Amino acid sequence: MSTSALKKLTIEHLRGSVMPFSLPFEKGKRLTVVYGENGTGKSTICDAFEFLGKGNVGSLDNRGLGKTNRYWHSLGKKPTDVSVTFETATATCRAAVGKSEVVVMPPEHRPRVEVLRRNQILSLIEAKPAERYAAISRFIDVSGIEASEGCLRELIRDTKAGRDVAIARVLENREAIQQFWEEAGKPAADPLIWGESESKRDANAFDTEIKALSDLQAAYARLTDYPEQTGNAFTRLKETQDSLDTAQKAIDQSLAGVSADATEIVSILESAKIYFSKHSNLAVCPLCESAENVQGLSGRVNERIVAFAALLKANANKAQKEQDVHRANQQLELLQNSAKQHVESFSLCRKNDSLPVDISLPGPPVPENLSDWSTWLASNAHLPVEWKKAESTRQDKKQFLSTLKRAVKTCTENTLAQKELDALLPRLEQALEIAEEERRQFTDATLAKIATEVGRLYEVVHPDEGLNKISLELDPAKRASLEIGASFCGQSTSPQAYFSDSHLDTLGLCVFLALTALERPAETILVLDDILASVDEPHVERMIEMLYDEATKFRHCVITTHYRPWKQTLRWGWLQNGQCQFVELTKWTAVNGLTLVRTVPDVERLRQLLAETPPDPQLVCSKAGVILEAALDFITQLYECAVPRRPGGLYTLGDLLPAVDKKLRLALMVEVFSGVDASGIPTFKPVQLAPYIDELTRIAQARNVFGCHFTQLSFDLLDADALAFGQQVLELMSTLTDGDAGWPRNSKSGSYWATTGESRRLHPLKKPS
Amino acid sequence: MSTPSEVLAARILKRLSAEKLLTEDDEKKLAAKMAAGKLRPEDWRLAVEKAAEKGAKP
Repeated sequence: MSTSALKKLTIEHLRGSVMPFSLPFEKGKRLTVVYGENGTGKSTICDAFEFLGKGNVGSLDNRGLGKTNRYWHSLGKKPTDVSVTFETATATCRAAVGKSEVVVMPPEHRPRVEVLRRNQILSLIEAKPAERYAAISRFIDVSGIEASEGCLRELIRDTKAGRDVAIARVLENREAIQQFWEEAGKPAADPLIWGESESKRDANAFDTEIKALSDLQAAYARLTDYPEQTGNAFTRLKETQDSLDTAQKAIDQSLAGVSADATEIVSILESAKIYFSKHSNLAVCPLCESAENVQGLSGRVNERIVAFAALLKANANKAQKEQDVHRANQQLELLQNSAKQHVESFSLCRKNDSLPVDISLPGPPVPENLSDWSTWLASNAHLPVEWKKAESTRQDKKQFLSTLKRAVKTCTENTLAQKELDALLPRLEQALEIAEEERRQFTDATLAKIATEVGRLYEVVHPDEGLNKISLELDPAKRASLEIGASFCGQSTSPQAYFSDSHLDTLGLCVFLALTALERPAETILVLDDILASVDEPHVERMIEMLYDEATKFRHCVITTHYRPWKQTLRWGWLQNGQCQFVELTKWTAVNGLTLVRTVPDVERLRQLLAETPPDPQLVCSKAGVILEAALDFITQLYECAVPRRPGGLYTLGDLLPAVDKKLRLALMVEVFSGVDASGIPTFKPVQLAPYIDELTRIAQARNVFGCHFTQLSFDLLDADALAFGQQVLELMSTLTDGDAGWPRNSKSGSYWATTGESRRLHPLKKPS
Repeated sequence: MSTPSEVLAARILKRLSAEKLLTEDDEKKLAAKMAAGKLRPEDWRLAVEKAAEKGAKP
C-alpha cells in the first residue's frame, strides 16, 4: 500500500456534496484540521474518506435506517453519480458505487483508512468484554496457535493413555509367563529369560510328530477292518459256489427227462428257429437237403423248443451263478490286494523317523495271512489309545508354546513401546510448556504494549492525575473476553465506574489511537470526526498537542471540529510542536453544497495589506496591533514577565511593551536557520530583537491613533508612520516565528526555545535576573 | 503483514528448535501449518521424534 503524500480529495454527490467539492492538502503537512460550525459538511469529508477506504458511510450507521447505501448519494442524485477521487503525489484512484459494493479503481491505490467518530469514541470502553476482545483480537488472536497447541495436548493425552496400556500389557503378560513358568515346573531362575528361550523353540517339531502319530493311527485303523471284511468275502464266495452247485443239479435233473444230448439238440433247434425266421420258403431241409418232410418243419421245430424250456431255464440260472462266483472271487482278490497295500502303508508309518521315541509300536509285523490278523490286532489293541494320548500331549505342548510365544512377544513389544513413550512424553510435555509459555508472553506483551501506549497518551492529556495506569487483561475464566482497568485514587478499578465523561472520552480516543497506530500507521489515513466535543477546556490544548504528535505517525491525519478555541489556536500557530493545515468550511447550502474558506494567517494578511497599492494605514495598524499583542503575549508568558493583574486577563500594548524590560530586551536574540554548510551542519543567522521592540515601543501610539479609534491626532501623523509600524511588526514576526513551524515553544534543548525542526532558536531560555 | 499467529508460531518454533525439540528443517516447514492451526497430533509426534532421533545420533 502507498505511503505517498496526499494531494487532493474530490467529492461528488456523496451526502452533502451536492456540487463537486475539492479539499487540497498542503505539501509537507500531515495534519489537516477541518473547522466548521455544525452543518457545514465536516462529516461528509469524513464519509468520503470512509467511502474510499472502507466502502462504507459510517455517519449513517446506528440511526435506525437499516441498510444505509440508499442514502449515500446527495438528494436528487443517483447512487451512480457518487464519486470520490483521491490524488496523491504518485497516483490517483476513484471510488464509485458498484452493483453491490464500493468499487475503487485502480484497487492497488485504494488508501488504508481508519475513522473514529464522536458517537464511536466510547464504543470500546463501554463494550462488553467479548466485544472489546473482538475489536482488539486482530492483534492478539492466536487461535491458530491455540488449535495446534490443542493437538499437542491431545497427543500428550493419547501418549499417556498408550503408555498406560503398554504398562498394563507388560504386567499382564509377565504374569502369564510366570504362570507358564510355574506350570513348566520353574525350569529356570527367571521366568522371563525362560519364556524368551522357550519361545525360540520351533513349533513345527510338534507338527511333525503330531502328523506322524496321526498317520500311524489312521494306517492302523485301516487294518482293523480287514479281518471282518475278509471273513465276509470268503462267506460270500462260499455262498455263490453253493448256489452254482445247486444250479448244476437242477440242470442235471432236467436232462434226465430228455435225451442225453438234449442240450446239443436244443442248441440245434434254437439255431434252426433263427434260420427259419430268415428263410420262410424252404424247399428242402437245411440239414439233410431232403424235401420229404420239409412241409411244416418250422412249426415242428418250435414245438420241440418249448419242450426243452425247463432245461433252458436251468442253463440260464447256472450261468448267473457262475458270474456270482466269479464276482465273489474278484472281490476277495481286491480285498487281499488292498490289505496288502495298507500293510505296506502301515509299515512305512511305523518306520517314520518323526514318530516320538517314547511311544510303543507293534512287536511282530502284520501277518501275511489275513486270517492271522485278528490275533495280531487283538494283541496290539491298546496301542492306538497310547498313540492318541501322545498326539494330544503334543497338541497341548504346541498350544502352550504358541501362547507363550504370544505372551513373550506382546511383553517384549509393549516393553519397547513403553520405553519409547517414556522417552517421547517428557519431550512432548516440554514442547507444550514452551508453546503455552510463549503464547502467554506474546499475548501479555501485546496487551501490555497497547495498555502502556494508551496510558502514555492519556498521561499527555491528563498529566499528573495518576490515571495513566491503564491495563488490558484477558479474563482467564472466559474465552475471548477482555477487561479494561485503570488506576483511580491509587486503586485499580473499572474506569467506566469512576471516570468522568470527559475522562472516558479521552480514554476511548487514546485506546483507538493506540490500536490504530499498531497496524501499518505509515500507510493509514487517520480520520477523527468531531472527537473533541466533550473534552473540557483545561485539557483541550494538551489534547490538540497530543493529536498533533500522534498524527506524525500516520500517513495523514484529518481532524474535524466545531470547537472554536481550536480555530484560534491553530490560526495563531500556537502549537508547541509544529504546524498543521487549517481549513474552514462555511455555511452549507443546497445549491453550492460544501464551501471551503481560505483562512489566511494574520501575519500573511498583514503582509498582503502592506503590499496593497496604496496600503490602507488604518487596516495595517489594526492588524499589526493585534499581531504585536500576540507576540508580546507570547514573550511575556514565556519569560514570566510582570504585567498589571486585571479581571479577564486583558492586556494592552501599554501593559505588554514595558513588561519586556531592558535586560530581557537586550538578551532576546533569535537564531534564524539559514541553511546547511558544506559538511551538512545547519547554519543560523543571529538577529537581536531589542531593536524591533525598542522601535515598536517608540511608535506604538500609531496603532491606537490609526488602528483603533477615530481621533484628530491621526490627521497630524504621516501614513508612513502607520506603515512603518506594520513593517516593524511584520519583521519582528518573521524573525520570531516560522510560517510552517510556528512559534519557538520547545525548550527540550535546555538552552533555548525552538520551533519544530529548529528553524528558529530563541535565546535566552530564562529571563535574566 | 504477518498475523499474530504467524509471529507467535515463528517464536515458538524457534524456541523448540533451540531446545532441540524440533529440527531446524521443521522449524521452517511447520510455521505455516502451526499458525493455521493445522499441526495435527501426528505432525507433532513425527517432528519431536525426528528431533530426538537426530539428537541421539553422534
